[in-house]
Amino acid sequence: MILDLQRFQAQARPRWSSLESLLAALEGRPDRRLNSVEAEQLLELYTQAAADLNRVTHGALAPELRQYLERLVARAYAEMYYVPPTRSEIWQPRRWLRIFTAFPETFRRQSRYFALAVLITVFGCALGGLAVRYDPASVDVLLAADYLRNPRQRVHEEEEGKRGDQHSTQAEAAFSARLIRHNIEVAMLAAALGVTFGIGTALLLFENGVLLGAVAVRYTQQGFGLFMTAWLLPHGVFEIPSILIAGQAGFYLARILLRRRVDRDMRQSMREWLVLIAGMVMMLVWAGMMEAFFSQHHAPVLPYGFKVAVGGAELALLTVYLLLIGQRNSGVEAHTRVPAENT
Amino acid sequence: MTAARPIRWATTVELTIATPEGVLFRLPLASPASRLYAMLLDIAIVLGTVNGVGLLIYWIFAKAPGFGVMVITLGEFAIGFAYGALLEGFWNGQTIGKRLFHLRVIDQAGLPLRIEQAWTRNLMRVFDALPFAYLVGGISTLSNPLMQRFGDRVAGTLVVRQTPLVAPAEESWSLQKYNSFMDYPAMVIKLRRAATPELASLIQDALRRRNELAAYARREIYRELASYLQNEISPFPDELVEMLSDEQYLINAAGVLFGDQRLSRVHG
Repeated sequence: MILDLQRFQAQARPRWSSLESLLAALEGRPDRRLNSVEAEQLLELYTQAAADLNRVTHGALAPELRQYLERLVARAYAEMYYVPPTRSEIWQPRRWLRIFTAFPETFRRQSRYFALAVLITVFGCALGGLAVRYDPASVDVLLAADYLRNPRQRVHEEEEGKRGDQHSTQAEAAFSARLIRHNIEVAMLAAALGVTFGIGTALLLFENGVLLGAVAVRYTQQGFGLFMTAWLLPHGVFEIPSILIAGQAGFYLARILLRRRVDRDMRQSMREWLVLIAGMVMMLVWAGMMEAFFSQHHAPVLPYGFKVAVGGAELALLTVYLLLIGQRNSGVEAHTRVPAENT
Repeated sequence: MTAARPIRWATTVELTIATPEGVLFRLPLASPASRLYAMLLDIAIVLGTVNGVGLLIYWIFAKAPGFGVMVITLGEFAIGFAYGALLEGFWNGQTIGKRLFHLRVIDQAGLPLRIEQAWTRNLMRVFDALPFAYLVGGISTLSNPLMQRFGDRVAGTLVVRQTPLVAPAEESWSLQKYNSFMDYPAMVIKLRRAATPELASLIQDALRRRNELAAYARREIYRELASYLQNEISPFPDELVEMLSDEQYLINAAGVLFGDQRLSRVHG
């Protein structure tokens, strides 16, 4: 039967308008909590609009009206089935500070992916180191930058204070920002490359490991092991683990994607991935500042022993933070405590 | 209610969602071109904001330019990610660019975007932007039936078109006070029973688009439709039809098919 569109619209228009007003009010509120009257009204109007849509779809070819009703039903459906975050959950600062405990908890819960990242990096380090040690020809390929290939001149300049122009506070501040930005970009890429089912993440970690191993062996070979340790340790103890955590996030993302169809709590998994990235970013900000303001100062300004001690202390603190802060058990109970809007 | 698992059928331009109540509705997907325009606008807004704030920061840090550079470098980087994530997360799935181009990011089940989804899809830009100019993201969008870039695939989101719609206004042709067809109840009933929804819609569309059609096309279409109705569906008396133009014939027919029940008034 053909629908009497004019009469149908005349009768239904008031309830469509009511639904539109209710939806506009709801969509303007970030928390979107309904009181009981609104909930009942929404349910009733949604049901009627859905029935109207069915009538228009099957009783008449009125494309514009159908499109309008589809949009209305889609909006109402979204409000009906969406569990919104509460305002207090969104704006409560203490809830956001939970990230400082959620990060180490998540780190421990997904530690097997961290172990995988360490394994690949160590493998790369070993290969890079062995290549430089036993194949001098590989030095030019692996260490493109001159200051990495020939550390003697760099160490000499640093110790003689010939690079003093780069050690002003202003230059260090700008350098620090560039380092932080670059490191975060690389680390986030490692985490995002999980979308290639972890292959891209593994390649990036491996490449990083090869470079690290090659530099370490080259500097040690030329008798600058202490210089290199004092140079890298103060920022490296945060920078290298944060790249490994980026790898951990990448492998975890690969796991999320591979198990998407069977994962019953995708939102929780996604939140954990974000928590790992947030923690990694915090670590890289610290590493960038240390690298610019501390690591670039060498003996005699800063004795190497002091720099190594600072690096060692940082490493100890980081280890304590990652292994001991937050809930100790990594089971289901802890799983639900990651900051969430709706839990 | 969160247990709802809608069924989805994707076509190249729209996503059909079946709700648990058995209602089907379609969501038109945003075209890659409109997404690109919205993104370019957002980039312009971010760059404009960063440069504007940057000038202020340079002025504030005039005696410490290194710190100015530090603040700007980090601020630009943070705003680049946070702009999309925060606006989409808290502003109904829309950035300024998306709002102006009537686009919206939603969950692929048709529900509003969640905050973690907004962050995920925006952080994944580092991958989608590879190797330059969002090539990876662009290829992903063009090759995916739901037009998702990798960030959307990971976050389980998609971008839909959301042009503001209002309920169609009353048709002007339906407002005529007298319909001569109503004087022939048998023919009216025959017309109502025989006309299919497709035919009724065709008549409605032809009348609605009256002013969009060229005069000769309008004459031809109206003549063919009126002849078909008269000869194949319900032959109204010749003395009546001869007095009507083809257009008036169709207006009367549309009044019979869609209008008020004037038949009962005539005979009431």
